[in-house]
Amino acid sequence: MEQPNPTPMSPIIEIQSLTRRFGRQEAVRDLTFEVPKGSIYAFLGPNGAGKTTTIKMLLNILQASSGSARILGIDSKDLGPRELAQIGYVSENQQLPEWMSVQQLINYCKPMYPTWDDAFCAKLLKDFELPPEKKLKNLSRGMKVKAALITSLAYRPKLLVLDEPFTGLDPLVRDEFIRGMLELSGQSDWTVFVSSHDIDEVDRLADWVGIINEGHLHLSEPTESLQARFRLLMFTAGEGTTQLPQNLPENWLIPEMSGHSVRLVDSQFQEEQTLNNLRRFFPNAGEPAVTVMSLRDIFLALARSFRFKTDAS
Amino acid sequence: MLPFPVAFKLGSPVYEQLLYAVEKAVISGLIQPGDKFPSVRTLSQELRINPNTAHKVVAVLVGQGLLEVNPGIGTVVGKQPKATSKQRSELLGDDVEHLVVEAKKLQLELEDLTDAVESHWNNLTQPPCPPSSKYKA
Repeated sequence: MEQPNPTPMSPIIEIQSLTRRFGRQEAVRDLTFEVPKGSIYAFLGPNGAGKTTTIKMLLNILQASSGSARILGIDSKDLGPRELAQIGYVSENQQLPEWMSVQQLINYCKPMYPTWDDAFCAKLLKDFELPPEKKLKNLSRGMKVKAALITSLAYRPKLLVLDEPFTGLDPLVRDEFIRGMLELSGQSDWTVFVSSHDIDEVDRLADWVGIINEGHLHLSEPTESLQARFRLLMFTAGEGTTQLPQNLPENWLIPEMSGHSVRLVDSQFQEEQTLNNLRRFFPNAGEPAVTVMSLRDIFLALARSFRFKTDAS
Repeated sequence: MLPFPVAFKLGSPVYEQLLYAVEKAVISGLIQPGDKFPSVRTLSQELRINPNTAHKVVAVLVGQGLLEVNPGIGTVVGKQPKATSKQRSELLGDDVEHLVVEAKKLQLELEDLTDAVESHWNNLTQPPCPPSSKYKA
């Protein structure tokens, strides 16, 4: 069997109380989380949540107002060419030298990276069906993104940082992009940090997720534990219950009642405890239907519960 | 291309779905003992899934004996291991009981159930493809 990806243990990115203000606006507020080595970490949140600001601070493109970020074991403020040569970065608004051809871009990037792999680069060029002689300015958006990805993959980076890479890509290009990205999984040491506003884009890829909203991190954990603790419960309220009881447990998100049936999302599902709680608040409830949730449904339930709380406060 | 189909559904974990798809492919003869099994990277790329997930599935299947690791060749489909007595009693006891309870709840007849079991049984017994479709790496 092949070598496993090193067990996610040591963090490749460590973020501590990271904050960035633009004037009075706090774009990112007291962010603390880690990205384990060997993971595909999806950094999720709606547009304007602070994802790009965070990534720019990580890569020393933007200064933090306070707090710190370490990447590959180095303070992001001290990132130099040696570290950057081990990090691949593709962003939604990638600036490319439009006057160059694809081949010229490759020739231009190659000398900066000691680990550049010509054979791998040629393979990607072929897989992506990019015409080497064509000028970048004459390429479609999808083609440009693929060109940017090639120049970020060809040196086999230890860390690939992708900022909303799929925005505006048609499904075929998106698929090619993901396939290309997964080429890295053949090497012993690699991690992907990918930001997105759309959970569907990373659903089967991510093994860690972080959710950010209005500059504030709501969770950061393995998708496995997330899927283990979230369940959708549906049951009939039973005799005597005509409306939702007060003071339902905090971990019951977006409880709803319609007619006799109740529907809620338990974010801390544990069979025995959940059923005990259910009997406590709904003494005559019928047997609940307990459903495993997709990442997408979990993400939506969380997003709706954030809005619930914001509206209430 | 992978030598067996995997149709992902939203909801249940990718890990469980892939595990089930491989077990089904082996049992139905779609992939046969000695056939080369795709590498972790191929699984990951073809299915667009996390390589760690693919790795975990392969490791579990190797543990079960459904797959075997041959140094120099890679992972191949193993001979189907005989069920242990624990596995037998789990399936014939608890799992069948569960099925019967569900069937009675829906007020089905015993015949409905045995017919359905038989039809699934036959579907999986006949190799759906000639052996020429074996996976070539």
